[in-house]
Amino acid sequence: MGEVIVVTSGKGGVGKTTTSANLGTGLAVAGHKVVLVDTDIGLRNLDVVMGLENRIVYDIVDVTSGNCRLRQALIKDKRFENLFLLPAAQTKDKNAVTPEQMRELSAELKQEFDYAIIDCPAGIEQGFKNAIAGADRAVVVTTPEMSAVRDADRIIGLLEAAELSNPKLIINRIRPQMVKRGDMMDMADILDILAIELLGVVPEDESIIISTNKGEPAVMDHNAKAGEAYRRITRRIRGEQVALMNLDVPEGLMDKLRKLVGLR
Amino acid sequence: MTRTEHLSIKGTRDGLVLYLDPNVEFQIVLDELKHYLGESSQFLQGATVRCYAGERGYNAEELQALTSTLASYNLELSGWLKAAEVYGKITRPSDVEREKGDESMAEGNCLFIDRTLRSGNSVQYEGHVVVLGDVNPGAEIISTGNIVVLGALRGVAHAGASGNRLATVSAYHLIPTQLRIADLLTRAPDGEDTWRGPEIARVKEGQLIVEGLAGMTWKGSLR
Repeated sequence: MGEVIVVTSGKGGVGKTTTSANLGTGLAVAGHKVVLVDTDIGLRNLDVVMGLENRIVYDIVDVTSGNCRLRQALIKDKRFENLFLLPAAQTKDKNAVTPEQMRELSAELKQEFDYAIIDCPAGIEQGFKNAIAGADRAVVVTTPEMSAVRDADRIIGLLEAAELSNPKLIINRIRPQMVKRGDMMDMADILDILAIELLGVVPEDESIIISTNKGEPAVMDHNAKAGEAYRRITRRIRGEQVALMNLDVPEGLMDKLRKLVGLR
Repeated sequence: MTRTEHLSIKGTRDGLVLYLDPNVEFQIVLDELKHYLGESSQFLQGATVRCYAGERGYNAEELQALTSTLASYNLELSGWLKAAEVYGKITRPSDVEREKGDESMAEGNCLFIDRTLRSGNSVQYEGHVVVLGDVNPGAEIISTGNIVVLGALRGVAHAGASGNRLATVSAYHLIPTQLRIADLLTRAPDGEDTWRGPEIARVKEGQLIVEGLAGMTWKGSLR
């Protein structure tokens, strides 16, 4: 029996889809049978990030409304045999699916897959309620900005109310240089407010944009810092004990000079 | 006050008051009541109960079902409350001042919340509120009595909401988005969020002031 993990955040643009794609791919690399489910009906993205856009025939609404069988709508990934995508519909809206249908779908996916990763839409309305309905665990993504943290807090409250307790946190797009200068919230500030277990930190990395545009998740890129971060997160999801990524900034020439002159 | 999703029960000097949610179907309220009484009948046995359901009227059949449900747990339905009886007291601040003023807010109903209030949570209570956790930005507490937070108060707190200036707000770490007592309002100074020890906010000479809690000689030794 598999596990259904929902990736959510409240605020948009913090990296839910990127996280879902990388987490799913990472788990597939580790040998698990994985399905990625895009529940952002009307604004689907996960297919683009995975580079599978041109293979969509049926979508999640076709499955829940009985237009096709689940098997027909699942798209096999181009790189991994054991990775599948269930795309969102682009021409319908969030109300085309009900939480009850999502629970049924999740139960069906659990029979077949080790992990079902659900990419949740932004917001706290119907789409969010659908996405969390069948989930066993939740991963909350935030960035080191007050607005994103505020929304994450709200989401954690709603998850608890829906009895999805112990959500795990991913802090995305951290910029170690800025944190060091005191210009960005650091991990401690965020954990102080949210008070949930940290699953991982992902540094801001240009290679994410490149990989997103190419449709190749960064988790496979062994030169990318963000890829390394997602590999660690994947291992922690599987229950392994792995240290958080070391985000220390190497001492620059100016730092050394300042120290020499005794400015610090 | 005990509450479930659609009903709440409060003990008063004149027996229990049962508040029914007027906006849901009667059957839902009744099921919840049965479930609740089933769990706590021992505690409530023999009391008289008055009900309040806003402007909503129930038909004879529903009233009969309610009466017999209560009766089966040894509770007697003794009447219905009007809105004025329920809200009358808190809408007239002058009365409250006179009634509670001499008691310096030392007594009253109290609501314990044993978790962190997160953004979007709102607690409104007639009496004192104690939070065993944090109150995060975006959460609010509105009470007619005092507010005590045994964690960080980062959200909005309104004590003495019915106009009682004797109410206080205290917290282990007091950095509210906004703090109100009765009709006065203040906010934490910008950019100051280092821990200064437990603090209490109260009204002195018409001014809302914040001071360290007396007797905190170990100030700063924690953390």
